[in-house]
This record gives sequence, structure tokens and C-alpha cells, in this order.
Amino acid sequence: MANVSFPFPFPEHLATLMPEMFVAVAAMTLLIVDLFLPANRKHWSGYATIAVCVLAAFTVVQVMSAKPLVAFYGFFVLDPFAAFAKVLILTTTAIAAILSIDYMRGEAHTGEYYVLMLFAATGMMLMASANTFIMLYLGLELMALCVYVLVGYQREVLRSGEAALKYFVLGSLASGLLLYGISFLYGVTGSFDFAAVGQAIATSGGNTHMAVMLGMVFLLAGLLFKLSVAPFHMWTPDAYEGAPTPVTAFMSVAPKVAGFVLLIRVLASALPALQHEYVTVLSALAVLTMAVGNVAAIAQRNIKRMLAYSTIGHVGFVMLGLIAGGAAGYAGVLVYLSVYMFMSLGAFAIISLMRREGIQGELLDDFAGLARARPGYGLAMALMLFSLAGIPFLGGFWAKYAVFLAAIEAGHLYLALIGVLFSVVGAYYYIRVVKYIYFDEERVAFNFAENRLMQATVAVTSIAVVAIGIFPGPLMALCKSVLAGLV
Amino acid sequence: MEQLNNVLGFPILSLSIFLPLAGALAIWLFVRGEAAVRWAALAVSVATFVVTLPLAFAFDPSTAHMQFEELHPWISSFNVNYHLGVDGISMPFILLTSLLTVICVVSAWRCIQTRVKEYMIAFLVLETTLIGVFSALDTILFYFFWEAMLLPMYLIIGIWGGKNRVYATIKFFLYTLGGSVLMLIALLAMYLKAGHTFDVLKLMAYPFDFHWQIWLWLAFLVAFAVKVPMWPVHTWLPDAHTEAPTAGSVILAGILLKMGAYGFLRFSLPICPDASQYFVPLVVVLSLIAIVYISLVAMMQEDMKRLIAYSSIAHMGFVTLGTFMLTQQAVEGAIVNMISHGFVAAALFLCVGVMYDRLHTRLIADYGGVVNVMPVFAAVFLVFAMANVALPGASSFIGEIMVLLGTFSSSAAAQAHLAVSTKWVAIGAATSVVLSACYTLWMYKRVVFGDLVKDTVKSMPDMSVREFAYFVPLIALVVWMGLYPKPVLNVMHASVEHLVAQASASKLPAAAALAESGQIHEIAALR
Repeated sequence: MANVSFPFPFPEHLATLMPEMFVAVAAMTLLIVDLFLPANRKHWSGYATIAVCVLAAFTVVQVMSAKPLVAFYGFFVLDPFAAFAKVLILTTTAIAAILSIDYMRGEAHTGEYYVLMLFAATGMMLMASANTFIMLYLGLELMALCVYVLVGYQREVLRSGEAALKYFVLGSLASGLLLYGISFLYGVTGSFDFAAVGQAIATSGGNTHMAVMLGMVFLLAGLLFKLSVAPFHMWTPDAYEGAPTPVTAFMSVAPKVAGFVLLIRVLASALPALQHEYVTVLSALAVLTMAVGNVAAIAQRNIKRMLAYSTIGHVGFVMLGLIAGGAAGYAGVLVYLSVYMFMSLGAFAIISLMRREGIQGELLDDFAGLARARPGYGLAMALMLFSLAGIPFLGGFWAKYAVFLAAIEAGHLYLALIGVLFSVVGAYYYIRVVKYIYFDEERVAFNFAENRLMQATVAVTSIAVVAIGIFPGPLMALCKSVLAGLV
Repeated sequence: MEQLNNVLGFPILSLSIFLPLAGALAIWLFVRGEAAVRWAALAVSVATFVVTLPLAFAFDPSTAHMQFEELHPWISSFNVNYHLGVDGISMPFILLTSLLTVICVVSAWRCIQTRVKEYMIAFLVLETTLIGVFSALDTILFYFFWEAMLLPMYLIIGIWGGKNRVYATIKFFLYTLGGSVLMLIALLAMYLKAGHTFDVLKLMAYPFDFHWQIWLWLAFLVAFAVKVPMWPVHTWLPDAHTEAPTAGSVILAGILLKMGAYGFLRFSLPICPDASQYFVPLVVVLSLIAIVYISLVAMMQEDMKRLIAYSSIAHMGFVTLGTFMLTQQAVEGAIVNMISHGFVAAALFLCVGVMYDRLHTRLIADYGGVVNVMPVFAAVFLVFAMANVALPGASSFIGEIMVLLGTFSSSAAAQAHLAVSTKWVAIGAATSVVLSACYTLWMYKRVVFGDLVKDTVKSMPDMSVREFAYFVPLIALVVWMGLYPKPVLNVMHASVEHLVAQASASKLPAAAALAESGQIHEIAALR
């Protein structure tokens, strides 16, 4: 796959890696600078993180070109598809940093907190560009290790530690499975390169079939774990609930974007010959995921836990796009992830605003009377929830539209039918939160931890959800166009 | 796309759709103070009503083509268009919507005292979505408005409703959403099948085979039957009606229920004509159950709003029956019934609202002898009670008699699929005349007549001028349509003729040959 024969990476190879290097170097610098910041200036690291993400996103757009740039002997690829994912990841990181500034104020070691976030972002950007299984594993582990620590960041809080430990243990197991799967594929095909593996599988006869199948299953299990696909979702509710809310916001979006993008690349270039097999596996898991996510969310009283199950449900819907495959299916995945980014971050922004004494403001009851007390936040939260439920004139409708249409087009009508039915089940727990916001009376006086940036975040995400809801055309066209080189 | 048909030089439908929305935004941003909000909402709703009037005056009743059309690309990668247009079937409902919204705003003047601003905004947004539903000619645009309607309605029932409002509104939301999502799948499947188009007119012309028609029709049935509502998916309606604030019930009964029946007329009949004929027996049975059984249920209600809600279901049974009899007369009767029910049911809910504002109870048993203290109100109430019974001279009489006559002389296409003669169906449906008299007049007797014994009732003041004012247009319309329905029938005549032709023709190639020689029963056998 290497398009140069020099033994040493040339500067243009490094240039394609510019955004990642920028974020990583910035993170290391921040780690040192933070040592010299006085205690009441620690939150400057947060502003620096936001700036780094914004600059990195611009760099991504600068560096990329319509033609895929392949670097480091085919390890790394920067195409519009990867660039799109990186912009989503960096936006999410920036918004998570905005949410963190007030949330983490007063906590010890905030510097490392932002550094971990930036390293996680670096890992996810590498995932988006991974073109070999080695790169995949490096990116994934860099991301995962940082997120394990972020989940357990509030060391003194028991549930935070418990969540982190659970996530770490299960995550390590998943990484093991992933490596195991990769070793099978390498053993059979003799390559780590996605395209080479794909070619080898396509040309090999049935004699390697069993090992390839085992490899595929373990590989998928490892990747689907990160996406909280049922039955690998067990860690999700605990991790979401235990993590600081901005981290929950971060991990509800960014790793999902990176994971799906990576999965699309793996399925499209390494496993196209096994399409029939993986579609069968993914279809069953998609149904299970939609069921688990949407049904279990009903029983939750804690909104972070509810949104954890909601994420699982949404991952199930996104999987329909993955199963459908092709330009329409993958474009559906990207549309869904983009819209989901706004919805989820908007909702978590409001949840982290609601933080009162200690870690309250997370129970559904705590939302009672929000619309009365603060009509703006009430409306924004209601819009996010209706959008998550997939009601038209909000972006969430078009996200579902895109994946359902792709699924039907690919001949998976029954999956689309199951999907819409579970979306009705899902609507119940979203509109139940609206009930607390609009129908109930305020019980405890609200005390918001807000600042201008957070207000702007709520406003921007709300406007984005409505704007995409009314004019979805540009986003859909963009998502289709970034896939041009891939499928 | 051929030439767009819009005799007016400006996009009147877009204006009708977005004027209330723009008004709602303006009220949200700029208007402070409850009184100012009320007046502003009234101004916006009246302006919208005025804007929709040219639809009636400039309407060309001689053609079945869509009029006042607008067409702009919306999502070009999926060929979704912003395509609007009305014919004689949809146009009256737009006017009904804009009129009832004005009445809703006026009726809420005094009884809504909390969150007035949100209330008015919700109603104006609701008006936008309703006019959008009736003017959309792109299936995705239709679905867009159809579902968007849920948001304001959810809030209207949930915030300003009665004691059990949360249960009622969540039930309403989930029922309707559950019905609609299957329609979405049907729309997407049609898009893929019919060569990537969401255009209603093109889908009407596309020859879906019988297998496809059956599944599409069933998916539509679920969506529309919930909205109508037809037995057995009607159970959300009594709860929603009872718990909704007066104006919410008015819009629910007046417009929302019509959306389902409109869906049958706009989608089921023209897109799936063969399936529509095939399923005539099913619709007939469900309609008769609605007419007879639900009427009996209505009789036993102790809550006035619940009674009217059940009465609405029974009347909508007439509408679905007429729709699927596939004769000019029956379909026109169904539409007249829908419009008439929009006036009558709305007015009955307003009447209950007038009493509720005074005593804050909806139970029949809490009243009695109201005529002694509220003579004007009793007279107004009587007009609409009689209209609900379909007394000759009222608009509902025209609708019901047309449906019954149309059923008696039902089309060969519908008859071919029924085991019994449609005469028997008509006789079954005619029991409604007796049953509706039973439940309506019995309720009227218990509430309005009798001795004035309750102290609470003694203290009820008669209607104010404002309250009387919003009944005047309704009385005028009910009587006018009852005595001289010709203008309304004229408007829909050409469109219904076209619709009946579409619904009676077959989309199956083999049937076309048989139809040439008039072998209608052989066509039925083909299926």
C-alpha cells in the first residue's frame, strides 16, 4: 500500500498527520504549563483545550484534500471521510471542555483532566484515519486508556471509581478479544493492511474460512464493545452515571463517531467479502441493541443513566445504516452521528448546568418546573428530547429517515420496521422528561452553574438541531460527498 | 413537472402556513404581558384567516387539478420537494382550520390564566402544522407536518389539561406516533419502488401491484385509523378530549380527527385503489361498530366531554363508511360530514367549556336546570345538540343523508367485495340517527332542563358577549350548510369525481382489460 519506497517517512507524510501531532503536542505542553498555573487560574487549561480543538479542526480542513492522502506505508489515511469524522470529534471535545470549565472548577488536577481529553481526542483521530489493524489498535487503546481515567476522575466519589474500574476491566477484555481477532486475520492473510486483508479474504478459498470467521467475530466484538452494542453494553450505564457529566457528554459522542467511522472502514475495505456473514451478525445485534437501549431506558430515574440506555438505542439505529452499507447506508451513519452529536451535547450541556450541591440535578425529578423557571433551558431541553425521539422539524427525524431509508433500500425492511417500533418505545421516555420540564411545578429552587460559553453551547446546539430539522439537505449532501472515495 | 397551477400571483399556501408560525415567533420574542399576548394572538389568527379566504374565492371548482401550487426543491439528494397545492377536498379544511383557530384563541381569553404566552404560541404553531398537512403534496412534507403536530398538542393537553392530563397526553402522543411510523415506512418503501419520488401526484399514477397495495394500504390504515379514530384504536380519544383544555378539544375534534379521514382520501384511495376495494368489508365492519357500539358507549357516559368524544367517534364512523363506498354521493357526504362535524363537535366542546368555566366540573350530574339561569346559552346549546342529532336544516343532516343515500346506491366496485347488499349496511348505519338522538338529547335534558335545585348552578351567569360571539359564526355556518350546501358541494364536486374515478379504476394490468368490457365481478375475482 505504501506509495513511496523511502525508508524514512518524508515531511509530506508528517504533514498529513499535522492535526494529530498538533493536538498531542498541545496536550503535552498543557501538562507542563498547568504546573505553573496558580490554583485560581487552573480553568485556563479548559480555555486552552477549546482553542486547541478549534485550531486542530481548521488544520484538518486545511490538510485534507479530495484525494485520499496515504502516509506511513499505508498505516494512515486522510480522506474527506476521516476529516469529517475528525471535525466531529474535535467539536465534541471542544464542547466537552466548555462543559467542564465550571463543572471541574475546584477539583484537584484539572490540568491532567484536559490533557487526558486531548489525548483521547488524538486517539480517536488516529482511529478515524487508521488504515491498518496496528493503527486501529493504537488509536483505540490511546482513546480507551484516557477515557478509563476520565470516567474515574472524581476519585472521592465511590460510584465514579466503581464505574471506572468496571469499564476498565471489561474494556481490557474487549481489547483482548480485538487483538485475538486481529491475530486470526493476520495469521490467515499475512497482512495488517485493511485493503490487503480484504483482498486476501476475497481471493482465498473456503479452506481459511473458519479462521477468518473467528477473526471477524472477535474483531467485531472488540469494536462493538466500544460502541456499547448489546450484549457488550453492560459497562455503559455505570460508566455514564459515574463519570463527571462533561465526560459523559464526551464519551456519548466522540468514541461513537470514531468507532463507527473505523467500523465502516474495516467493513468496507477489510471485510467486504464477508458481507453476508457480518450483516447477519450485525442485524441480530442491532435488533438486540435497539431493544435493550429503548426498553431499559424506561425504568431509569437518573437522567444520565437514561441517556446511557438512550445512546445504546441510538447506536442500534445507527447500525441499520452500517448494515445497509453502500453510499446511502454509510451516509446515513454520518448524518445520524452528526445530528446525534448536537442532540446529545445539547442535552448534556443542560444537565451539567443543572448541577447543584454535590452531584444532584441528575434525577428526572430534578427537572420539574424547568420550563417555568428558565423557559430558554426548558425549551432547549424539550427540543433535544423531541429530536432524540425523532419528531419532525428537528434533526433527529432526518437522522432516522436516512438510516431507515438506507435499510429499506438494501432490502432490510424488517429491520426498519423493528427500528420504527422501538423508536416509538423510545419516544415514551423522552416525552416523560418533557413532562417533568413542562407539566410539573418546581420543587426545589434551581441553581444553575452557568457561564456564557455554556449558554452559547445550548443555543448553538438547539439552533443546529432545528436548522438541520428544517433544512437537512446540505448535511445530507455533505455526508454523501465525503464518502465519495470510499464506496 | 408540468406547469404549476396558481391563479394568484403569490404563494398563498406558504403564506397561510408560515404566517401563524411567524406570528408565534414574534409573540415569543417581542410581546410582553398577558393582555398584549392575547390581542397579538387574535390578530395573527384573524390575519391568517383573512389570508386563507382567497383560497375559497379564487378557487376554480370546475377542475380536479391541484390549485395554488408551489414547488421548490427541499432535499435534492433524496428528491424531496416542497410541493404545496389544494383541490376541492383539502381546501375546505384549510379554511376550517384557520376559522377554528380564531375561535380557539377567543375561547381561551378568560379560561386560560396561566402561561398565556406559551398557550397562544402552541396554538399558532399547531395551526401551521395543520394547514401544512392539508396542503402538502409531497409525502415527506406531509409526514413532516403530520408528526410536527404532535409537539404543540402534547404540550397543550399536558400543560393546560385537567387532572389526569399527563396520562392522557402521553397516551395520545404514543398512539399517534405508533400509528404514524408505519406510514413513514410505507412512504419510504413507495419512494424506492416508484422510482425515487415522494410526489403524491406521481405516486397516485404509479401502478403498484396488488401485493404492494395491500401492504401500503394496511400501513396507511394503522396511521389513519388511529387519527380518525376507528374502533378498536379509539381509546386515546376519550382521554385526550376529556383532559384537554376546551380549545384543545375543539381543535382535536374539529381538525385532528379529519386528518385521518383526509389521509384515506388523499393516499389510500388513489394510491391503492385495488386494496381499497378489497378492504371495503373491513372498513364497513369497523365503521358500523363505531356507529352502533360507540353510540351505545356514549349513552352511558357521565362526563359531558367524554360523551361528546364518543359521539365524535361514532360520527367519524359515518365518514369512514362514506369514504369507502366509492360513490360520488357517499364520498361527498363523508366530506360534508367532516366539515359539519368540525363545526358541531367544536361548538359542543365550547358549550361544555362555557359551563366548565363557571362550575369547574364536566359531570352531567352536577348540572340541571341550567335553562333557568342561562337561557341564551340553553338556546345555543340546543342548536348544536340538534345539529349533533342531524336534524334537517343542520349541516350534519346533509352529510349523513348523503352518506346513507350513497351507501344505498353503492358503487359496483364496493358492492363486489361485500357479502351483503349495501342496503343492509345503510340500514345499520341509519341506527345512528336514533342513537345519536338518544345520547345527545338525554344529556341535554339532564343538563339544561329539570328543576333548579343545585345552589352552584343557581349562581351561573349567562353567556358574555365574547362567549356568544364565537358561537355566531358556527351557528351561521351550520345552518347555512344545512339549508344551502350547494356552494360547498360545488367546490368539491370535480375533485371528488376525479377521486372516485381513481379509486374505482384498477391499477392492475389484467383488470384493465376486464374493465373495458365492464366485468366488475371478474376484476374482484382476479384479486
